Amino acid sequence: MFEPKIVCFVCKWCTSAGADLAGTSRLKYSPNGINLRFMCSSRVDPEHIMWAFRQGADGVLVGGCHPGDCHYQDGNYRTQTRMALLRRVLDQLGIESSRLRLEWISAAEGKKFAEVMDNFSEELRKKGPLSLASKEMTV
Amino acid sequence: MTRVAYYPGCALKERSAHLERPALGAAEKLGFELDELDSWTCCGAVPPPSEERIMNLVAPIRILKDVRDTGDEVLVTICDFCYNSLKRANHRVSTSDLDRKRVNAFLRENQPKRDYLPSTEEDYRDYLGEVQVMHLLEYLRDVVGFEEIAQSRSTELSGLRLAPYYGCVMLRPEDEIGLDSVENPTIIEDFLVALGAETVAYPYRTVCCGSYLSVSFPESSARLCSNIISSAAEKGADAIVVSCPLCFYNLDSRQKMISELYPGTKSIPILYFTQVLGMAMDLDISDLGFDKHYVDPEPVVEKALGSLKGGGSR
Amino acid sequence: MKRIGVFVCHCGINIANTVDVDRVVEELRKDPRITHAQSYIYMCSDPGQELVRDTIKNEKLDAVVVAACSPSLHELTFRQASAEAGLNPYQCEIANIREQCSWVHEDRERATAKAVKIIKSIVAKTYLNESLEPIRVPINRRAMVIGGGIAGIQASLDIANSGYEVVLVEREPSIGGHMAQLSETFPTLDCSQCILTPKMVEVGKHPRIKLMTYSEVEEVSGYVGNFTVKIRRKAPSVDWATCTGCGECMEKCPVKVPSEFNRGLDDRGAIYVPFPQAVPNKPVIDRDNCVYYRTGKCKLCESTCEVGSIRFDQEDEIVEEEVGAIVVATGYETLPLQRIAEYGGGEVPDVIDGLAFERLLSASGPTVGEVRRPSDGKVPKEVVFVQCAGSRDPERYQPYCSRICCMYTTKHAMLYKHRVHDGQPYIFYIDVRTGGKGYEEFYHRAEEEEGVVYLKGKVASIFRDGDQTVVWGTDSLAGRNVEIRADLVVLATAVVPGTGVQDLAKKLKIQTGENGFLNEAHPKLRPVESITAGFYLAGCGQSPRDIPDTVAQASGAASKVTALFSKDEMEQDPMIAAVDEDVCGGCRVCISVCPYDAREYDEEEEIAVVNEALCEGCGACVAACPCGATQQSNLTDRQILEMITASLGEE
Repeated sequence: MFEPKIVCFVCKWCTSAGADLAGTSRLKYSPNGINLRFMCSSRVDPEHIMWAFRQGADGVLVGGCHPGDCHYQDGNYRTQTRMALLRRVLDQLGIESSRLRLEWISAAEGKKFAEVMDNFSEELRKKGPLSLASKEMTV
Repeated sequence: MTRVAYYPGCALKERSAHLERPALGAAEKLGFELDELDSWTCCGAVPPPSEERIMNLVAPIRILKDVRDTGDEVLVTICDFCYNSLKRANHRVSTSDLDRKRVNAFLRENQPKRDYLPSTEEDYRDYLGEVQVMHLLEYLRDVVGFEEIAQSRSTELSGLRLAPYYGCVMLRPEDEIGLDSVENPTIIEDFLVALGAETVAYPYRTVCCGSYLSVSFPESSARLCSNIISSAAEKGADAIVVSCPLCFYNLDSRQKMISELYPGTKSIPILYFTQVLGMAMDLDISDLGFDKHYVDPEPVVEKALGSLKGGGSR
Repeated sequence: MKRIGVFVCHCGINIANTVDVDRVVEELRKDPRITHAQSYIYMCSDPGQELVRDTIKNEKLDAVVVAACSPSLHELTFRQASAEAGLNPYQCEIANIREQCSWVHEDRERATAKAVKIIKSIVAKTYLNESLEPIRVPINRRAMVIGGGIAGIQASLDIANSGYEVVLVEREPSIGGHMAQLSETFPTLDCSQCILTPKMVEVGKHPRIKLMTYSEVEEVSGYVGNFTVKIRRKAPSVDWATCTGCGECMEKCPVKVPSEFNRGLDDRGAIYVPFPQAVPNKPVIDRDNCVYYRTGKCKLCESTCEVGSIRFDQEDEIVEEEVGAIVVATGYETLPLQRIAEYGGGEVPDVIDGLAFERLLSASGPTVGEVRRPSDGKVPKEVVFVQCAGSRDPERYQPYCSRICCMYTTKHAMLYKHRVHDGQPYIFYIDVRTGGKGYEEFYHRAEEEEGVVYLKGKVASIFRDGDQTVVWGTDSLAGRNVEIRADLVVLATAVVPGTGVQDLAKKLKIQTGENGFLNEAHPKLRPVESITAGFYLAGCGQSPRDIPDTVAQASGAASKVTALFSKDEMEQDPMIAAVDEDVCGGCRVCISVCPYDAREYDEEEEIAVVNEALCEGCGACVAACPCGATQQSNLTDRQILEMITASLGEE
């Protein structure tokens, strides 16, 4: 069966802490994602996401603090804006924008992190691998 | 004589036509003419302008656009409801880009034919809120000036103790109408003082009369009006002065029902502000419209003023 | 070629049960970028740490990756261990293969593969890590406190008593704030002046507190540890150095203006001290009302003054102070009666606000503590108290709860009853909120023992009728409207931010919220700090609060200041933004996205620079930088791209 590869950009204060909580709670979820831990989701540059798709990711998850809870005041609002714009570009490039997910997962939401990972993995399994003409040409 | 565009509205042409006559007569004595629009429609008062809808902007803005196209800058009304719906509609097109665009787009395509106005789509000029809508009280205060009126009055009303009643729509909402303080207004008091009358302070002057409940739940309206009337009477008012035809109806015509439901309520005449103005300007009593009142104001007025001019000929 | 060592922890069976640790090590050894890889049962144990230290030395490692539990647990442990072995601590990184791998997966095969990817992504980052030094910022160990109410007084005393100098700036001629106006305090009913004035005197005499009353902050520059503040010292028109505070001038002054301190219940002269216990107890001339300044004649005060201290030609003075931290304690005002038209709009003489009632109750007030109403001086027999006058009313006034009114109104009603035994107090309320030590008991005492009548409902209208003040309200529990013909009405007007707080906040570059109160860095965990480093908050400037909470917060702010001052210099995390001067085009996008004002434009070089003392390292500007000139130390775009590639594995 096809197993999608997911790159997860998670902020240190909320989503990564939430993922840690999923661990300490011994919740089980699908091991398709690798977490890359940043200080804030606003560190994620759309280029990083494009790079991930190009390098073979089937999906990208960006996880930040809930609106109003950002450790850095309003970083998550910037992330939200950037992701909204990037989604438009993705569609135009032939990458379904649903392969990019933005989720607000707090440090208390271990369960939500596990659910998001399961749910996103399943969704990508159904979609199948991302095929990129550029990828075939460069790789 | 100064001419000013005048919008009468439905009430003052029908049920309350007697309240219009003294306004026209008094204006003439004050040196200006209330010139009724050649053609006008409903002001859109029912329902009053709401946030979401555009249709209730169409009627008032069509009227105001015609006024502008005829070259007038000011439009005067003597009815609180007309004043409210015209002024609020004007406020909305002046402040909301969306409302302005939508109502003009509608009017551009659905222009009524007026032989005195250009009416092709190319001629259509967007209405941007240019006309200033004024209540007659406001016109008297801000253009004529209450001091000027105090100078021009020919009859002394000093024997009259009058209780102003403000109702709701002449002042509200404060940020859109901006005529006077909503909670502590003084415009009617100032007007009456300029006419030489004595004003009566009583707490119910800004409390609701029941408005359209008079149609659906007349008993509720009667209860509220009973409070207003009793309070004014208790403070020694000879009459209550109103500026809205619906207040007039609720307070005057409903006094039969009020006295049946609340037998203790003292009977008190209700005067429209135009009638008081007419009295001060020495109009003939036949022009004051006192014949249409449920509670006849004449005895009170006569008591206060002595025999009114033409009083015997009624 | 950088020499990297990877240490994989079994964590007993916690990792090893799901992740095949030996296979992970075997995979890592195949990677040409990894010099050394090995596993151990408990990396965090002493022998585990010893192993790391020894290997660093023996293998001459340049960097270390520990694959173990979450970095929030042992990042510091292993960075210290690495440092002990002579490695730069920022060359040590943690790969989380427990919380985010072994504990959450069951399939051993896939968990092992995932662990390898996690470790390799961290190795990819570490490979490009720089050796960093913490950023050191020198600290000027001197504090400024803005506002001399109880919050500012408490903060100043706490900081000064810890051995640091404090500059206390107060706009009014005296410190004391609103607490000086209060009669007694709830729920203990102890005299406000009696507990406050000793503190005021202590501030006035403290060798380490520089008191600047009648002064306002004009301009602030610098950053945490190193602020320069310009202060306008308004001319009191009196030479305070020679003035003895005898008060003769105030007796002779012919002017009568309503006393602000007594809420307009009596008058003061144009030359005045706000109240007898003022600190400093020296008068100022109110030039707007002084006859001499208006007409050029009078000078009665000058001729009265035996020591010749009157200075009509005195001018405002601008002084500069250098401080390392600033406590903002700007306090509150109450919503003016004029704003609330339905309650008389300030026109009804016997409708007063809570602070005015405090003055009526106060033994040092205009009526010497007898409750007499303003209109005719009669003792009121029926008094109506209206709570939430302008609070909890999002449609027209303030949406929030002013927090102190329930308790002070209860206190007012009780004290009124103590003064006028046959009087009847009524309180209109929406809810009675008694969250505080002894507050609920205090409320019950008022209701059950002191005969205060509580009516749950809003007041619709207040107007004057003869010599009475009529209150129309609703008793929602009885389900009917009530009319009370009162002798006096006291409105618990909403607590609003002090006037000028917005302007001050702009000068300080600190944030205010939608209601104009100062914003804290975090509502739960950093309640006494502003988000801008070096600024601390105390008292009602942040939000309405009572005296115990204000004092607690002021002490909290003071201890934050002294914690900052406990070192000569601050160490800040070096993983912050840095600019490549050759690449930056000066577009300034970074300045617009920085939440900390840490990005500045260098006019001379025409590039955007980073204020290292202010940067918190969120990375928002790095992602926003269109040309890649801004990078985050040890998390550069290149590192991130390498991490992504590594995390996706081989196939």
